[in-house]
Formats: sequence, structure tokens, C-alpha cells
Amino acid sequence: MDDYANPWLHRLKWGYLLLVVLTLMTPVFYVMYVSFNANGFGANAYDFTWEWYRLVFSDELLLGALRWTLMLAVTVTVIAVPMALLAAKHYKATRNKLFPVFLLLAPLFVPPDILGSALLVFFKNLNLSLIWLGDQLGTSIFDSWFRLSFLTAVIGLIIYTIPYSFIVILITMGRYRPEQTEAARACGANGWRAFWDIEFPQIRPGVLSACAFTVILVFNEYTRTSLLKGGFDTFTTVLISQMLNTGMSPQSYAMSAMVSFVAIALIGSIILWTLIRAETLSRVARAKAEPVMS
Amino acid sequence: MTKTPAPAVELRGLAKHYGDVVALTDVDLSIAAGEYFVLLGPSGGGKTTLLRTIGGFHRPTKGEVLLHGQEVGHLPPDKRPTTMVFQAYALFPHMSVTQNVGYGLKVAGMDKAQAAEKTAAALEMVGLDTFADRRPHELSGGQQQRVQLARAFVLDRDILLLDEPLAALDAQLRKDMCLELKHLQEKVGITFIHVTHNQEEAMTVADRIALIANGRLVEHGAARDIYRAPQKAFTASFVGENNLLSGRVTETAGQTARIDVGGTALRVDRRGQQVQTGQDVTLSIRSESVALDTAPDTEEDGTSLVGSYNEAVYLGLTTSHLVHLPDGTEMVSRVIADQDDMMPAAGAPVRLSWQPDAIRLHVE
Amino acid sequence: MATVTTNPVGRTRPADSPRESWSEKLGRWVFYLPLIFMVLFFAIPMAATVVFSVFERTMFWMEPGFTLFSYENFFFSARLTNFLDSMKYSLIAVAICFVLGFPIAVFVRKSIPQVAQHRVVLLFILPFMVSEIIRVFALRPVLQRNGLVNTTLQNLGLIDEPLTVLLYSHTGVVIGEVMSFLPFIVFSGFLAMEAVPKYIFEVCDDLGVGPWRRFCDVILPLAAPGIFAGSVFIFVNGLGVALLPNILGGPGAVNAGLIATQAITALDFPLAMAVSAIMMATLMTLLWIGHRLFDLTRILSPLS
Repeated sequence: MDDYANPWLHRLKWGYLLLVVLTLMTPVFYVMYVSFNANGFGANAYDFTWEWYRLVFSDELLLGALRWTLMLAVTVTVIAVPMALLAAKHYKATRNKLFPVFLLLAPLFVPPDILGSALLVFFKNLNLSLIWLGDQLGTSIFDSWFRLSFLTAVIGLIIYTIPYSFIVILITMGRYRPEQTEAARACGANGWRAFWDIEFPQIRPGVLSACAFTVILVFNEYTRTSLLKGGFDTFTTVLISQMLNTGMSPQSYAMSAMVSFVAIALIGSIILWTLIRAETLSRVARAKAEPVMS
Repeated sequence: MTKTPAPAVELRGLAKHYGDVVALTDVDLSIAAGEYFVLLGPSGGGKTTLLRTIGGFHRPTKGEVLLHGQEVGHLPPDKRPTTMVFQAYALFPHMSVTQNVGYGLKVAGMDKAQAAEKTAAALEMVGLDTFADRRPHELSGGQQQRVQLARAFVLDRDILLLDEPLAALDAQLRKDMCLELKHLQEKVGITFIHVTHNQEEAMTVADRIALIANGRLVEHGAARDIYRAPQKAFTASFVGENNLLSGRVTETAGQTARIDVGGTALRVDRRGQQVQTGQDVTLSIRSESVALDTAPDTEEDGTSLVGSYNEAVYLGLTTSHLVHLPDGTEMVSRVIADQDDMMPAAGAPVRLSWQPDAIRLHVE
Repeated sequence: MATVTTNPVGRTRPADSPRESWSEKLGRWVFYLPLIFMVLFFAIPMAATVVFSVFERTMFWMEPGFTLFSYENFFFSARLTNFLDSMKYSLIAVAICFVLGFPIAVFVRKSIPQVAQHRVVLLFILPFMVSEIIRVFALRPVLQRNGLVNTTLQNLGLIDEPLTVLLYSHTGVVIGEVMSFLPFIVFSGFLAMEAVPKYIFEVCDDLGVGPWRRFCDVILPLAAPGIFAGSVFIFVNGLGVALLPNILGGPGAVNAGLIATQAITALDFPLAMAVSAIMMATLMTLLWIGHRLFDLTRILSPLS
């Protein structure tokens, strides 16, 4: 804000911004609200209860789905984030940027149902071709490679999450000065050593945010996962199929409320942590710089 | 100091292309061990590309880079006996000054105690021993560059590359650091190769200077010779404040050539260059060698020109008098500033004259 | 200065190591891995939709062949009308998102201190903490006949009868799209505004350029690639996210995503592939136009 701007106009704009955020958050708050209602969704009376949260942990179906979801989230994160990191490094180094940009950002623009069905049919055909190839060669080792399974879900979700990680990592890399890598090389470090010692510590916040992003995206994804998964269910697919068929059970609200509590706490603490850290750093800097000034 | 037989750096037919853009072409250069060598030239002329090719940050398109007689064109920076000081931002912001300086030793796997000792010695050498625990962002620009120097010295490499090391500093600090660099180089005795676009900086530190422009090595030689007796007109235009005159050869007699400059005949020493009658040449003369005189003589003596006075530019120590020659060329006569009594009126005819050996002939 | 004595011979490191070790070669190739992965499992499957779309439909699957039956099925039925309708409403959603969201991006860039900007934008990620489908589902109780919006409006005395167009209608779908995709115009607008240096605002103030002229003459041209990318994102997702019309839409609210999912459920895989191919063609055309108009690689240029 500059010195001559109308402070009330500035506050009004802030107010508008927060109003938009709050409006977008309404469904989230609503889910949280319902999850504590003993009478469940749509009831007129409201009685506060922890009952649904207790029930979540006794629902075998949900717990099993939760385990699958966590495994899926961890696997996708472990593969997609390093790939995004490599891709971002490649993007920085290459001259021809159009091709990598297109490949890495295009999945953002492909709607979930389209990506899901295209991959579904692709994997089914790939699987059939491999079975045919196996028959010709008299082997059955290819048969299960691309059968709809954990693997195909992982691939689909990597395609889905990689653009987000790529952008987040690229934003943090933008603040990194490449001279530092060169300086490390001049000090005798080879390329990898320079990366791990010098660049990685500085882009770590970006990599961690990319991990958080990926976990949350995988956790909440429904369409792609349900199309590409094999015989297992993730937490969200259980919720949605309940919701679409019989309507949501109150413990599903409890569950998704819990997920959002955790996620909001995570994001909130990232914001707070960076704020506090920036504050401390500048304070330390000022304190240390003072003796020189005097 | 001991001298190895092979030069510290030898470049043979070096070229670097970026696609169709030629950044560097046909560079042959040899730099002796223990020399303070400066690559001087305008921005974008290719001097930094040359330095980075020596350091291994660019792979040459053509030609060879030899360090101590060994071909290193294929080696990355960390496998070369060179180290580098960058223009700015090259300190590791997440490490303290000590960690920055000791990083190379840590990479090399040196024993911790020994590394700490070396680091402390290097920091003391650049006068930063009391700043060991600071972070880079708590240091001034000059201090940051000193840390870079210490980080380079501690490695005991024998070729130090400096890429515009003082460009980010303000004028006064740059002067001080220049002298300090020169003294440090004398103390450690290793080869310094320093890139700059600032001729004053180059003159202060250099044993020898190479002029790089448009991707080519224009001229190289001892700093003094480059200033006093440049071979190429470009060197004259870039180093010192020179007046450039274009003319045509009318006659050659022995070592002397007669050059017609805008209708006036000038006598110039050929300095061993071959010229033919009718050839277009360039003449250069330093502005401080040109004397201004308010009573123009009509008689041509071969070492003077007549023009009309334009204006005086007061520069503190010196004053530059600008004079327009009849053909529109501007010439400058620079004198020590205390003679402000002699100020011709604008448009008044004046004569510019010089010692016969002050003017130089350039054949391109 | 005993530690920094001169010893040129000792300093010369051996320069006779092999040309390039296998690990260095591998090191360079590893950077192509993500691209190879994306080609194998993204570009190829997407291109293959065109091939699969002309295959013959069988009872439970499909077999190689050449027939344009699926395209016929799409273009000469109510599906086309539905598709074009969903384009219209998707465009409306894009416009609403832009009007509501882009000023936020400008405001954040212009009036919020540099260090805080990213955190403010991070606020718009918060809604994503809950699965999109649950968020959309939770819009039902908000928009329905006796829902939050209608009750509030009635209590305020603004309306007598509850509004029924809010849910199970095209309006409902547009509301859902805006609620789901608004943050993306803020993100892409924010990235796009990186291309507008902050001094521009000062220059405009200095020259006495009003906010409207400033927006049209300066901000819009500079931020165009990012705005375009954000708009394409919303437009295409409006066409392709099946759950929006599925949960909020009424009769006739059928977009490409829903056609594809319904085809898959009905085991009509060639039709699903044809719809995917049409969507990819639409997307590619849009991106190509965008790239011709304003080099889309510029979106990321502030970051490199």
C-alpha cells in the first residue's frame, strides 16, 4: 500500500479477499459442522457429539481404505516429487523450453474424467497386448503388468500431481542464484555434490510444499483413482460411492472433517512457521549487524 | 617464485558459439604463471565467456584450453586447477562465513582440524577473521567479495579467475579493493585472471592486459604499452581518453607517413606498419597530449590542427576543452584544471598541437 | 601465511581422468526421465484416444477396426447440444471467475508487501483441503429449496418464494464451477502479474493514468498469457468435470466428462474415447491459439 492510498479502500479490498476465501470455505466449514451433529446430515435439530469420530475408528471398511490411501499417497509422493525436481532442473538448463513446459503442464488442463477414461482404456489395451505377446512367447510374466491395480492408479496420480509439484518447485528455484552452483563447482564439488550441499537446502521449502501438495491431492482425488484402481478402495472412493448411492453416512462427514482439520492445520502451520522464521531471521540479522554499525 | 616451463594458461584457436551466435572466435593467448592478467573490454564482448571457458563453465566449440601444458577442454570446473570469484551472489546463504570458506576443503575430504586452521588463515589474510560466524546477508558487498577470495585461496589452486569481482561495489570501495587485490596477488604469487570493463581497474591491477571485443582478442600486452602505444584503433578508443581521427595516406617517406586529415597534412611515425598511398587509416592521440592555443597559426607544421572552440568541461583535476574541426570531428584537449583564465569564446578559432611522437597510426 | 604458500606443481591437479565417466552420462540422462514418463503415460495415451475412438464396439470391450459410429453417436444426437450448452455455461463461469478473481491477484501484487504475497495466495489453497466432490456435494444443502441461501434471503425479506433455479439447473452447475475453480484464476493471475513490474503502478500514477486505462493498456497485455492459461483451465474443466453436472445439474446439464463416464459405465468404450479425443482436440486448439497469440512459455518466464 502506498502512502497516499485511501486506507479504507485498502481495507475494503482486504475484506473482499477474505470474503471470497470464506465463501469458498463454506462447504468445508459445513462438513465440519455436520460432523459434530448427532442427528447427521440435513437434520433440523443439532446435538453436539463425538460419536461419529468414534465410529470412524471402528469402521473396518473406512480404516482399510485409509490404509490404502496412505500407501497410495506416500508412493505417489516418493515418485512424483523427485521427478518434478528433475524436470524443473531440466527445464532450467534446457534451451528448448516449449516441449517440457507443454508436457509437464498439459495434465493440468485435462479434466479428470477425460484423463481417467483415456488412461483406463490405454492400460486395458496395453494389458491385452502384453498378454497376447506373452502367449506368443509362451510366458505369462507380462500378464499382470498393466492390469488395473495399485500401479496403474499410481501412474495416473503421478500424471495428475506432477504439474503442481513442478510449478511449486520452479517457484522456489526462481529465487536460487545459479552462481552458487558454479561457485561450488569452482570449489571442487561435482554436479551432484553441488546440488545436495548448496542448491537443495535452499529449495527444500519448495520440495516440502510439493510433497504436502501431492499428499493432499492424492488423498482427495476421486475420479482418476476410482477409474484406475483395481480391487482396492481409497478413503475418498468409499466416501463418494456411499454418497452417490446411499447418501453420506455421518461418519464420512467426520472423516472428511478430520482430513480437512489436519490439512488446514498443516497449511496454517506452514504459513505461521515461515512468518515466524522470516521474523526471527531478520531480527537475528539486525542484532548481529548492529555492532558493525556502531 | 618458481616458474613452471609451460604457461599457466594457453588458449589455441578457441571459439565458442551459441547456436548461430558467435560469442568468441579465434582466440590465441598465453598467460604465464604468477602473472596478474586482465581481460578488458566492453560488455557483451566475450571476455566473461573466455574466462568461463578457462574455468570449465563452458565447453569450447573449437580450439584447446591448456592449463600448465595439459589439455582440459573436456574437464568440468571441479577437475581443473582453477577456482573462481564471481561478480556477486555467489556465497552460500545458508552457511556461515567459515562454512563458506571451508566448503572446498570439506568437499576435498580434508581432516577437520587442518581445514579449520586453513580456513582461519585464509580469513585472516583477507581481514575477516572477526566475521567468521556471520551469514553472508549480514556482510557488506566488499566483505562478501573478500569471503569469496578467502574461499578461493584456501583451496591452494594456482589459477584464480575473477569475473568482474568489483562490479557490484561503489567507486571508492572498488579503488581500495583493487589495490588490495594487487597486493594479495603479489603475496600469494598465483596466476590471477581478472575480467573487467573498467579500464582504471585494469590499469591498477594488471601486469598484462588483453582487450576483448566482439568475440575477438583485439590486442594484448603489458598494461603500460596498451595505454601508451596501442596497436589497434579500437584499443585507443577504449583505453585512455583518445582522440580518433580518420585520414588518408598521401605520401610515405622512410618511417614517416603523411596523412591528410580533413584537408590538413599531418606527419606520423609509421611504427613499422606498411601503408600505401591512398589508404584510409586512423590516427589516435591522447587528449592530455593535445595542447590548446588561442592564436592559430595559418602555417601547417604537420603536428597541429585548426578548429573552432566549442566548450570546456570541468572535471575537477582536469578540464576538457572541446574543439570542432572543420569537418565536424570533435577533438578534446585535456589540461590540468587550474588554468581557467584561458577560456576562448565559443566559435573562436583555436589551434591544437602535439609532440610528433604523441600521435599514432593505426592500420586496420 | 604459511598455509597459503606457493607451490604451483603441487596445486596442479591431474587432468588425465577419462573423458566422461558412466555416472556422468547417466547423470545427464536422468533428467530426461520425467519427460520420457510423461510421453509414455500421458502423451501417448492421450493421442491413442483418437485410435481407440474408431474401434468397433463389442459387448464388453472393443476390437480393432475402423468405424466413425462413435462420432456419429456424438454429433448426431442430443449429446452435441448438451456439449455446446456446457461450453456456453463454462464460458459464463470463466467470465464470472475472472471478474471475481483477477482483481484479487492484482490487489495482492500491487498492495501487499512482497514477503507476504505468497502467503496470502496460499489462503486460496485452503478450500482444496477437502475433496472437490465433498465440497460440491456440500453445496446442495447450501443451495437447495430450504437451504442456507434461500433461508437467508427469505429472512432478509428479499424474496417471498424460495429460488429453485439455484440447484439441479445450469445455474447450479455454474455456481459449482465458480466455487471450484475461482482459486485457479487467482493463482494464474498471480503468476501472470509477475510479468507486471511493480514500478508500472508508480509510472501509471505518475502519468495520471486511471485504473481502468491502466488495466486495459498495461496490465492486460502483460498478464495475458497467464490470464489465458487460467481461463482455458476453467473452461476445459467446466467441460470435463463430470461430478459438477452430476451433483448440481438438472435435465440437460450434461458435459463431456459426464458423457465419457456414462459411456464407460455403459461399457461403450469407443464413445468414451471419441469424447476424450474431441476434448483433447478442443484443448489443443485453444492452447495452440493461445501460443500463437502470446507465447505461452512466457507464463513460466518470470520463474526462470
